[in-house]
Amino acid sequence: MILFHLTIANLKLVLRNRQALFWAILFPLIFVVVFGIFFGRGNPFSDNGPTSVAVIDRAQDELSANLIESLKAQEDLSVERRDDETAARQDIEDGNLNLLLIFPEGLSREAYDSPPAQMMAIFDETNIPGSIAVGTIRSFVDGTNLQLAQAPKRIELSVESVTGDELSYFDTLLPGLAVWGVMNFSILGLATTIAAYREKRILVRIQVTPLPVSMFFASQVLAYMFLPLAQAAIMLITGVVLFGASIQGSLPQFALLVIIGNSVFVSMGFIVGAFSRTVAAASGLGNAIGLPLMFLSGVFFPLDTLPTVIRVVVEYLPLAPLLEVVRGVTLHSKSFWEFPVELAIIGCWIVASAIVATKTFRFR
Amino acid sequence: MDERKKGMIVSTTDEIVIQVEGLTKRYDDLTAVDDISFSVKRGEIFGILGPNGAGKTTTLECIEGIVTPTSGRTVVLGLDTQNEPKEVKQRIGVQLQASAYFDHLTLKEILDLFGRFYKRSAAPIELLERVALEGRAGATVANLSGGQRQRFTIAAALINEPEVVFLDEPTTGLDPQARRSLWEFVLAMNEQGRTIVLTTHYMEEAEFLCHRVAIMDGGKIVALDTPDNLTRALPVPYEIKIAVEGEYSADALQRLADVEDVIAEEGGIVRLSSSDASNSVPAIMRWSMASDATLNHLEVVPASLEDVFLHITGRALSE
Repeated sequence: MILFHLTIANLKLVLRNRQALFWAILFPLIFVVVFGIFFGRGNPFSDNGPTSVAVIDRAQDELSANLIESLKAQEDLSVERRDDETAARQDIEDGNLNLLLIFPEGLSREAYDSPPAQMMAIFDETNIPGSIAVGTIRSFVDGTNLQLAQAPKRIELSVESVTGDELSYFDTLLPGLAVWGVMNFSILGLATTIAAYREKRILVRIQVTPLPVSMFFASQVLAYMFLPLAQAAIMLITGVVLFGASIQGSLPQFALLVIIGNSVFVSMGFIVGAFSRTVAAASGLGNAIGLPLMFLSGVFFPLDTLPTVIRVVVEYLPLAPLLEVVRGVTLHSKSFWEFPVELAIIGCWIVASAIVATKTFRFR
Repeated sequence: MDERKKGMIVSTTDEIVIQVEGLTKRYDDLTAVDDISFSVKRGEIFGILGPNGAGKTTTLECIEGIVTPTSGRTVVLGLDTQNEPKEVKQRIGVQLQASAYFDHLTLKEILDLFGRFYKRSAAPIELLERVALEGRAGATVANLSGGQRQRFTIAAALINEPEVVFLDEPTTGLDPQARRSLWEFVLAMNEQGRTIVLTTHYMEEAEFLCHRVAIMDGGKIVALDTPDNLTRALPVPYEIKIAVEGEYSADALQRLADVEDVIAEEGGIVRLSSSDASNSVPAIMRWSMASDATLNHLEVVPASLEDVFLHITGRALSE
């Protein structure tokens, strides 16, 4: 009963502390929104429509007409005819146009002679849809060449995505962001709370009451189990509803993973709080641990891009294995029993961090 | 100061509620409390007076069970603090020095929460009424004035209706008016039959509130008695201030009964140190009638605990 009331009091304390709440909930949510705007699908803020392609047809013959018709048949391209090359190039530079194709005069006539006819593709390398479209056009041209040479087809490429469904960068990012948000909330929230309670001698005030210390610990842990779960839910819902992220896997399993992983972060929050004399120090130390962990553990970039030495270390830190399991569960519909090594690493962290947290805790 | 209320207070009994025996607390190279012993009787207001760093707070914290003594024993209500800390904490009320409460909970919510830590607890609103804060039940601690905050910490210390209450420097940082008002609440608490142990470095606070005072310096108790006995035991417990008109001889005054010293100031003001005012005052009266000089004013100023501290340690209490 005491535990229930203490936990409710803790929840009230967190929810009424607007400034702390901002950093805990809104900050990670801002990441979801920003990355959603850049990489999300079908979100209301950006229109990821088909790639715009302009064609200047100087050939004006049967082949060029056929090519344009075939291009128009591509779903992800919107093809328009243009005449003014200068204006079209300007549009490429301004980013209004993704790709410009120029069919030279006498395309079909020269196509049978050598050297081959020079078809021009003009794009801005920094324009991602344009760059991708060049690849499409290239294979399109190769196909046309083979057709014209009437060469028999020897190899056919059949494409199969390992994810089963096509995953966007944002899809893989979102569960990682949610886990990072949970970590950020627990480490920073608890560390600053404990430091503030010590600074204001609230811990000593509690110590002179008969309340068992374990009860105080437990109530903090409970509050910080519930709140990050709510936060992860808010982040996932924002990503899915506003930015069209797809979550394939089991949500109960995701919730269970958040609770398991969060118990490491809760202990880390206690530890950071134990070593910080002031609230400012707690927030600084919390960030000094949280931010490198976030960048190194593969929230934004795959672990493979890290130097081997760092990667080997990071794989044994708590966040990377947790992300591995979370992505496996949410994106690839796996069960988390398929990740025994990762779960073992997390388990070790849970035990070790809890021991350190109880050993280092001090009232003053 | 003359409207002392101690006469109205529930009389103390001989039942001992706090027993401290050979208490010592050492931190690395500092001995905060150095082998002190004393006892507090039920119904007493017991003061520990001393400068900062004398060991007052450490002594309280050992008795309360939040600091482990290096050696010695503290017994509260028959319970050894070291052996039964939980039971001791159930039955004592504590106001800590410079302790704050949760920022974002209201006074009522804080008292509600703390009440649940104890087997028995008072109703929050009734507690707030006792310290005249019932109107601020929905406020947070941050919205209270300094005096209100101290009163709230007293209300919080009473949440479990304790038999023994510890107040650590309850009026430090308060203006004289707020201090006075807090004294009334301390006296009211005592009238309800609670034993109170308080620390202070204000000698007038100890004189006004306490039945007995332990004077601490450098971790030791250097004197322990009622404020009256402490001052009376001084070699020069009184100063007699007179105003004289006309010619007089300082030597004649010096020779009067029990007069130890004479300091003549401008305007005929003379300060006489006396070892016993009951002998010196009649002698002064007889002297004035016999001499040509006229006595315009006579005032007996008793020594204070400040003088006691100065006499024992050779230093002034207030810095």
